[in-house]
Amino acid sequence: MSNVLEIRNLTKKFGDFIAVDNMSLAVREGEIFGFLGANGAGKSTTINMISSLLRSTKGEIDLLGKNIAKNAKFAKSNIGVVPQDLAIYEDMTAYENVSFFAGLYGLRGEQLKERTVEALEFVGLGDKHKAYPKNFSGGMKRRLNIACAIAHRPKLIIMDEPTVGIDPQSRNYILNSVRKLNDMGCTIIYTSHYMEEVEEICTRIAIVDHGKIIAEGTKEQLKAIITDTKDIWIGIKSEDEIKVESLKQIPGVATVRIEDQMVMINSKAEVNNLNQIIQQLIRDRAEIRSVEEQAPNLETVFLTLTGRNLRD
Amino acid sequence: MDFWTIGNKAGLLFYIIAVLYLGASDNTAWLTLAYLSYLSLNMAIPLFKRKHPKQLMIFLSAACVVYCAVRLDPLFIVLLPVNIYEFVSLHVRRRRYALLTMAVPALFVPQAMLPIYVLAAFLSYLLYAGNRVHMDKLKAYEDEREAMRDDLQRLSRALNENNEYIRQSEYTIKLEERNRLSQRIHDEVGHAMAGALIQMEASKRLMASDRDKASELLQNAIAISKEGLERIRLTLKNMKPRSEELGINRLRLFVDELSAKHAIDAKLTYEGNLDVITPIQWKIIQQNATEAATNTLKYGQATEIHFEVKVLNTVIKALVADNGRGAPKIVKGIGIVGMEERAASAGGTVIVDGARGFSVTTLLPYGSPK
Repeated sequence: MSNVLEIRNLTKKFGDFIAVDNMSLAVREGEIFGFLGANGAGKSTTINMISSLLRSTKGEIDLLGKNIAKNAKFAKSNIGVVPQDLAIYEDMTAYENVSFFAGLYGLRGEQLKERTVEALEFVGLGDKHKAYPKNFSGGMKRRLNIACAIAHRPKLIIMDEPTVGIDPQSRNYILNSVRKLNDMGCTIIYTSHYMEEVEEICTRIAIVDHGKIIAEGTKEQLKAIITDTKDIWIGIKSEDEIKVESLKQIPGVATVRIEDQMVMINSKAEVNNLNQIIQQLIRDRAEIRSVEEQAPNLETVFLTLTGRNLRD
Repeated sequence: MDFWTIGNKAGLLFYIIAVLYLGASDNTAWLTLAYLSYLSLNMAIPLFKRKHPKQLMIFLSAACVVYCAVRLDPLFIVLLPVNIYEFVSLHVRRRRYALLTMAVPALFVPQAMLPIYVLAAFLSYLLYAGNRVHMDKLKAYEDEREAMRDDLQRLSRALNENNEYIRQSEYTIKLEERNRLSQRIHDEVGHAMAGALIQMEASKRLMASDRDKASELLQNAIAISKEGLERIRLTLKNMKPRSEELGINRLRLFVDELSAKHAIDAKLTYEGNLDVITPIQWKIIQQNATEAATNTLKYGQATEIHFEVKVLNTVIKALVADNGRGAPKIVKGIGIVGMEERAASAGGTVIVDGARGFSVTTLLPYGSPK
C-alpha cells in the first residue's frame, strides 16, 4: 500500500506557542485515519496545514508523493476538506453551493453538472437541489458541507469534526457516508474528540496531545498499550454450582475469582470467549443475573496516557 | 594611540600653516624651518621606545613651539597643549592633572590667542581622554580574553585527565570485578568440584571390586556436585544487581530527599511489573523526573509533587505532576527540549501540560510494541 499522505517533522508555532510539535505520520491508501485528541490538541492546525490553509513553520507534507508546497494546484485538486465550521452560502441553493465549490476545483460544463448531482445524491440531498441551506437542519447543512468537498472526487478527504452539534440520525448518516466513500476508494482523515466515532469507523488512529502524536495504531494496538486483558463480571444467584476449573479451561481465561455472588474472570482481551463462559455457567446450572464486560476503550487509553479526559 | 596623537598634531599644524599662509606672513623661510623642525621632532617621539629619550623629544618640541610662538607667530602656541599632555601622561595616570597642566600656559598666552588656545587644548584633551577610555576598555577585554583562554586550556586539560581517569577506573573496576568473580568461583565451587572429581575417580576404580562402596562414593560426588551447582547459582544471583530495585530505589531516594530538603510534599507511587524497565529507561525516567522536579521547585509555587511510574502493557509511563500554578501557555525551554530528546532516544515522547498544576509525562515503549 502506498502512502497517500506523508508528513515529516511538521511544526507550527504561533509566537511562543507550539500548536503542532514535530509531527510525523503516514496515511496509507484506503485508510480511514482517525485523529483523536482533546480540543486544542493541534488537530485542526494540522488539517489546515495539510489543506494549505496555513503555512507550516517547519517540516514537509507530501500528497501522493508530491510536496504540497511545490505542487499547490495538484494538492488542492486531490484534497477535499470538510471544515469544522460550516462553509456554505446560506443564500445560494444547495445545488448552487455544490456547483460553486466544484467549479473552484476546476470542474466545468457537463462534468460539473453530473458531479454536482452525484454529490448531492450521495449525501441524501438529491431532492433538495433548489432548497436554501438557511432552511436546513444542522445535520442537513453538514451533509451539504460534505457534498461541497467531495464533488471533485478527491483522493484524500479530510473531515474535521464533521459530527459536532448534530442529531444522532444525521450523525449515523454521515458515518455511513464516510464508510461508503472509503469503499469507493477514497482515503479519509477523520478528526474528532468523540472517542466512540473514531473507534467505530477508523482503521488506524493517532492520539494527539499538545501537538504531538503520543500513540498510533489500530484500535486494538492502542488498547493493547494499556492492557491485553479484560475483566468479565457475572452476577449469579448461588456460588455453589460454579466449577472454577472448568471455567479456567476456556481459551483466554487467565484467572477466575468468586466472591459475593459474583464470578470475576480476567481474560485475554483479544479472545472473544464470553459465549463459552456463559454456556459453561449454564451447563453448571448457575442462575445468571448480570453480565458485565470491562475492556479498555480509547477514552481509557487517552486518560491513562495523558491523565486527562478527551473532553476536558 | 600614537596614531591619534600624530593625526591630532598634523591637524593643528596644517591649521597653523593654512592661517599663516593666508595671512601672508613675510618671513616664510623661518616659518618653513619652524614647521619642519616641529614635524621632525614630533615624528621622533613615537620612534623611541624608552621613556627618557621620549621625554627629551617632547621637551624639545615644546621648547621649539614656545620659541616659535614668541619669535615668529603666537599662533604656534596651539601646538603646546598636545606636547604638555604627552609629557604629563608619561608620568601620571590621572587625566585631570594633564588638563590642569594644559591650562597653565593659558595665563601667558596673549588675549587675542586665548580662545583658540583653549579650544585647541580642550579638543586635544577630549580626543586623548576618549581614546584612553577606549584603549583601557580594549585592554580589559584583551586581559579577559587571555584569562578565559587560560581557563579553557586548564579546563580542557582537566577534562582530558578526568576522561583518562574514568577510562582507567572503568578498566580497573572491570579487572577487580573479574578477579572477584574468579576468586569466588574458585573458592566456592572449585574445591567442591575437585572433591567430587576425586570421589568419582575412586568410585571408578572400586566399581569392579566393591560395588557398594563405589556407589556410595558416587552418591557423595553427586551430592557435592549438586551443592556446587547450587552455590554457582547463588553466587551468580547474589552478584547480579537487582535492576528493578536499583531504579525505583534511586527514584525513591530522590523523592524522599525532595521532601526533606524542600518545603514540598513529594510522593512516589508505582504500578505494574517494574522488572521490564531497562537501566537505560530508568536513567531517562530518573533524569526527566529530576528535571521536572527542578522546574517545579523553581517556578511552580507548588506544595505537592507526585511521581508515578506505571508499567502498562506496551508502554512505560513516568509522570511528575505538581499542584502549583502551572502554565497556561507552555514555552519550550532547554529543559523540556532535553527531556524530549532523552525520551526520543528511546523511542518515546514527553507530554508537558500546564492546565492543572504542571505535569510532565514521559512515555517509553518497551518489549515488542506493534
